[in-house]
Amino acid sequence: MNEFIPLMVIIPIACALLLNLFHKKDKTVILMGIIVAIVLPIIPLIANYGLHYFGGHAPLITNSTLLSTLPSTIQNSALALFHPAVTYSYGALQKIFIFILGIIAFFAIFNSLSQNKKVSGPLMFLMFMGTAAVTAILLSDDIFHMYIFFEISALTQTGIILTSKTENNYETALKYMILGSIGGPLLLLGIGFVLGAVGSVNITDIVYAISHNLVDPLSPTLLFAFGLIFFGWLYTSGLPPFHTIKSGVYSKALPNASVLLQAFTVIIFIAIGIAIFRIFSYLPFFKTLIVVFSLIAMVLGVTMAIMQTDFRRMIAFLAVGELGYIGLGFGLATKLSITAGLFQAVNELVITALLFIGFGTILYLTKISDTRKLGGMIQHNSIVAIMVLIGGFAMAGVPPLNGFQSKLMIIQASLQSGFPEISIIAILVSIVTFMVFMKAYHSIYLKPKPNDLVGADKLVPRSSIAAIAILLIICIVLGLFPHLVTDNISQFAMGLI
Amino acid sequence: MTDILLILGDTQLMSLFTAAAFIVVGLFAAIFLDNIIKKIIGIAFIEEGANLFIVALGYKAGGVVPIFLPGMSADWFAANSAYPLPQALVLTSIVIGASTLAVMLAISMVLYKKYGTLSASEILGDKKTQTLAEKNAGDNNE
Amino acid sequence: MGYYDRIVYSLRNVTNIKGKLKRDPTTNESVSSALAAELTIISTLLIASLLLRHINIVLTIVVILGLGLILVTNMPIIPKLKREQSDSLEKMTFYAILTLGILITLIYWGTTNV
Repeated sequence: MNEFIPLMVIIPIACALLLNLFHKKDKTVILMGIIVAIVLPIIPLIANYGLHYFGGHAPLITNSTLLSTLPSTIQNSALALFHPAVTYSYGALQKIFIFILGIIAFFAIFNSLSQNKKVSGPLMFLMFMGTAAVTAILLSDDIFHMYIFFEISALTQTGIILTSKTENNYETALKYMILGSIGGPLLLLGIGFVLGAVGSVNITDIVYAISHNLVDPLSPTLLFAFGLIFFGWLYTSGLPPFHTIKSGVYSKALPNASVLLQAFTVIIFIAIGIAIFRIFSYLPFFKTLIVVFSLIAMVLGVTMAIMQTDFRRMIAFLAVGELGYIGLGFGLATKLSITAGLFQAVNELVITALLFIGFGTILYLTKISDTRKLGGMIQHNSIVAIMVLIGGFAMAGVPPLNGFQSKLMIIQASLQSGFPEISIIAILVSIVTFMVFMKAYHSIYLKPKPNDLVGADKLVPRSSIAAIAILLIICIVLGLFPHLVTDNISQFAMGLI
Repeated sequence: MTDILLILGDTQLMSLFTAAAFIVVGLFAAIFLDNIIKKIIGIAFIEEGANLFIVALGYKAGGVVPIFLPGMSADWFAANSAYPLPQALVLTSIVIGASTLAVMLAISMVLYKKYGTLSASEILGDKKTQTLAEKNAGDNNE
Repeated sequence: MGYYDRIVYSLRNVTNIKGKLKRDPTTNESVSSALAAELTIISTLLIASLLLRHINIVLTIVVILGLGLILVTNMPIIPKLKREQSDSLEKMTFYAILTLGILITLIYWGTTNV
């Protein structure tokens, strides 16, 4: 049923708007939030692959009776092939990512509901709206549509920080918006240049126009457009120079909401990354640029993470650094590397969610996020501590967990493409990632408990334990049977090259 | 002289120049001015510049409104109508820009109440600035 | 002065400048993390510059020697880097605009002139 494709976006948007109406009625909010959160991962499983044209406006070529009534200038030109409406394409890749996003959104929403005594209608609204926006970005085949939904998701991210009531959250939100308002319009300007050159914002049309030489592929317009869109991509995905603000954003939200924020970033990264890859990968320096920025992200991510004392900021910087691995996959541009990069994206979604929820329990128990003031938390709940430890192993790439599989694939891909240096750097960064994680883990769980550390009389919430356990199971299953995901992804990667 | 007049008379070209001016002025304001409200005004300039650029792309000198009326020949319409897609796009992006602007202004209101100043280097720098409440507490102690 | 001492010294200096010495003491842990970060950044920079061999061997040798010299003479790099990566809006905007400038220049001039 192709009708399910738009529903993946419509259901969370409708839910978000309705939740806003029921703002004060707590029970309705909880019930509706949980029902929709359960539905979200189910829809991608039952939907069929295919295209959805909004308003039913299929390309003219598919409707010969209408085409015959039009002037011959249109009939014989590329216009007959172009997509007149916003098009959603739903394939194997989208299925995986929307499914994982659905699971993570479910945990984020469920944990926020069960751990906050007062149900926050606005937070629920923002979470659903953001999920809808990110799903739309993933599905859309229209670069302007992506931009619009990206701006919506950026607004919801700001909103999520504002609802968190952490220290200095307003300052971080304003910084993010000011930087975003420089990056966002420049991305729009880049899209404008593409529109001026090709006359369409549909990615398939743009690729067609460029590959059939309807426009000059190396014209200054397209080059300039590439520069602006690439810069916009750096901003949307938090690659350097935007990694500091992105990690600040993660660390200012409540951990359960940070789970969703990092999921948004990863998915926007790959969705817009794939769009740029499809349009501009013919440019000679395209791959070099992506590799350079990925390497900078990896190195700056881990070196800054190791210098932090706030554990939320540490994971935030690590999450930014891990994005570099996905970028390497795009940059090496072989079938294996793109598969590896996208697999790494799936893994990062799951692992970072696990770590945010896991370390979030510490914040819930003690209200402290400074690692120097923490210690000895392992005696409080050792099962959670061990599960978090395994999650950290997965992030650093310890076999047989999923992070190991994807990182190994990336290293193999870079060796095959003749860049052993990149694999050495990947291994180095992975070692330092492990060190950062162990540093945080040691100072929170293993170090002797400081005398002035009070609190911890509460129990770790059951919802968090369930979320960590299920995410850990996903990690182990993907680590043992990576082909569950890679088979689908490699099909997609084949089509991309 | 006639060249300049030709350029000035070209609505599309002038719109593009205006858009470029908007973006440059906006970037200048957003980067170099210290007052947060001025920064936000600069940001609004960048957004409007981008919008104007896109809407100017669809302009056609002497063109007609892109609505197909009964009695028009399809060939004539295809040759003479303006390009409607940029207008549709810009309409959406104006809405997004307005909401971003509203959120930014709302946040700066909160920050002004907290700090009693709108200087970006004080509020958004990496050093900690005294909030208004802390200042008042300090005054009372003295 | 040994390398370890130099890092301790420079960290102390940075924290002194910020007037944070009381709240942010230089612990064993922070020095060893700084050391690890320092080694990571130096080694990755040098290894990454090996990638230039795909363009020109001589260039690679010159760049690596030059880079090595610069890195060693400016030894505690991490405190300086951390200062630059702060949460201040000014610095973040500066780097964003710098990146935009470099990107556009490289892409525009790089392609038309190659």
